[in-house]
Amino acid sequence: MAWFYGFKTIRRAYSYVIASLITPLTLLFLIYIISDGRLVTYAITGGFVAIIASNGLASAGDAAFFRLQLKIQDLFVTTNIGPLDYMLGLTFSFIVFSIPGLVLYAVLGAWYHLFSLTNSLILIGILLLLTFATSAISFIIAGLVGHVRNVWGIISILSVVMTVLPPTFYPYRLIPQYLLYLLAISPATPAAVLAQGVFNLSPFDPVMIPVLLIETIAYVGLAIHFTRWREK
Amino acid sequence: MIRTEGLSKVYSDGTRALDDVSINIDNRFTAIIGRNGAGKTTLVRILSTQLEPSSGRAFIDDLDIIKNADRIRKKVVSIPQEASPIGILTPSEQVKLYLIARGMTSSESSLAAKKSLEDVGLSESLDKPTDMLSGGTKRKVFVAMALASNAEIVFLDEPTTGLDPISRLEVWAAVRKLDGRIILTTHYMEEAENLSKDVIMIDSGTILERGSVAELLNRFKDKVRIESLNVIGDAFKVGDIYIKYVNEKEAAEYINKGVTIRRISLDDLFVIRGVTVEH
Repeated sequence: MAWFYGFKTIRRAYSYVIASLITPLTLLFLIYIISDGRLVTYAITGGFVAIIASNGLASAGDAAFFRLQLKIQDLFVTTNIGPLDYMLGLTFSFIVFSIPGLVLYAVLGAWYHLFSLTNSLILIGILLLLTFATSAISFIIAGLVGHVRNVWGIISILSVVMTVLPPTFYPYRLIPQYLLYLLAISPATPAAVLAQGVFNLSPFDPVMIPVLLIETIAYVGLAIHFTRWREK
Repeated sequence: MIRTEGLSKVYSDGTRALDDVSINIDNRFTAIIGRNGAGKTTLVRILSTQLEPSSGRAFIDDLDIIKNADRIRKKVVSIPQEASPIGILTPSEQVKLYLIARGMTSSESSLAAKKSLEDVGLSESLDKPTDMLSGGTKRKVFVAMALASNAEIVFLDEPTTGLDPISRLEVWAAVRKLDGRIILTTHYMEEAENLSKDVIMIDSGTILERGSVAELLNRFKDKVRIESLNVIGDAFKVGDIYIKYVNEKEAAEYINKGVTIRRISLDDLFVIRGVTVEH
């Protein structure tokens, strides 16, 4: 599915790629201007997190569209695949949409000498968990909405709440700890905190490792339930 | 054989979509006819393991739809009502994606997709994005999926709803090429008559009639249908139209009386059962 829906979409509808890039690049630009370049490394690190999180959440639109409008989900129910395969297929399609943005941020990260082998591998791990968690949230939303039109508004709200409010683009120590833990309901928060830690931009907070892991497992579990593979 | 025993479905909003349905289906073509909301889609979605029943049991070739759903899914294809292909993909990609999901390898699926799309007359459209294709052509993409899958049982839920008459004929031609047993839901009576030997008539979640088209129409033997906007004796009233069934000889008396005389069709089963007919 990632090949068919991901790569073919990139080739035939460039707007998906531009849409996934526009917010992180705009915020990167603003942060660069406002902080006089001092916080740009946070914005680059956060850009990775924001691209993955916003693409993961954006998949709710397609998941709902496939289920309610195109009836593609029902079509796939009577095949060899299960709800997790279907979710992963759509999720990996959206990872494909993220690739151009990730490459751009990787170039910027290299420019600012952010990467080592270890922190790059850890970042990939964090981003994979974040992909699963945010895509799972999108499937929960897609399973709950009764009409496709409802999903667009929800995604817009969640994109802000789950990718801009969390400390993706600013040092996590700037906000009180209780607020940080409140924002941790978004998997982008532990992902961003861990990313800032592994890139030595902020102190490493090990509490966020189980938070991200548990959230990912919980959201995926809920998504399997709410994806309405076989409706009751 | 497809078998249901006391199958019922009540949705969470309290709607009773199926009520104690017990049927056996074992013909090459079976049409489930009924108006919108009659319970056709619910029945097909339950049988194709997309929806769980509230009570009762159903079996596909002796496999329980609840306990053996995974095995049933290998045997059946179900094309949902108003399904539409992913617009950005070509018919060829769409069918391949589906076949890979059914367990075929990439090379097997390429060959099968090409052959099936050619078989349903889409050789000219293999590589065009499906959002550039007509409604009828899009429906044929789904028929090609069913054809390429070699499924033993194919459920087609209102495969021609919304299509123009020519597209409908083209889809029927494609459907006739399908192997296995075909269970088709429709509210177009001529579709049921054209494609099916066996007809199940459903309304308000219950089975009203069952039989071959010939058997079901036998009660109208030697009769024709007379329609009028004016009262014509003990006629059925459907909307603004009065409908009466008379012998062919008797029909002559109505000529020049402003009535329309029609041949009998499955529509008339709905009329005599007091169910509003959809045209």
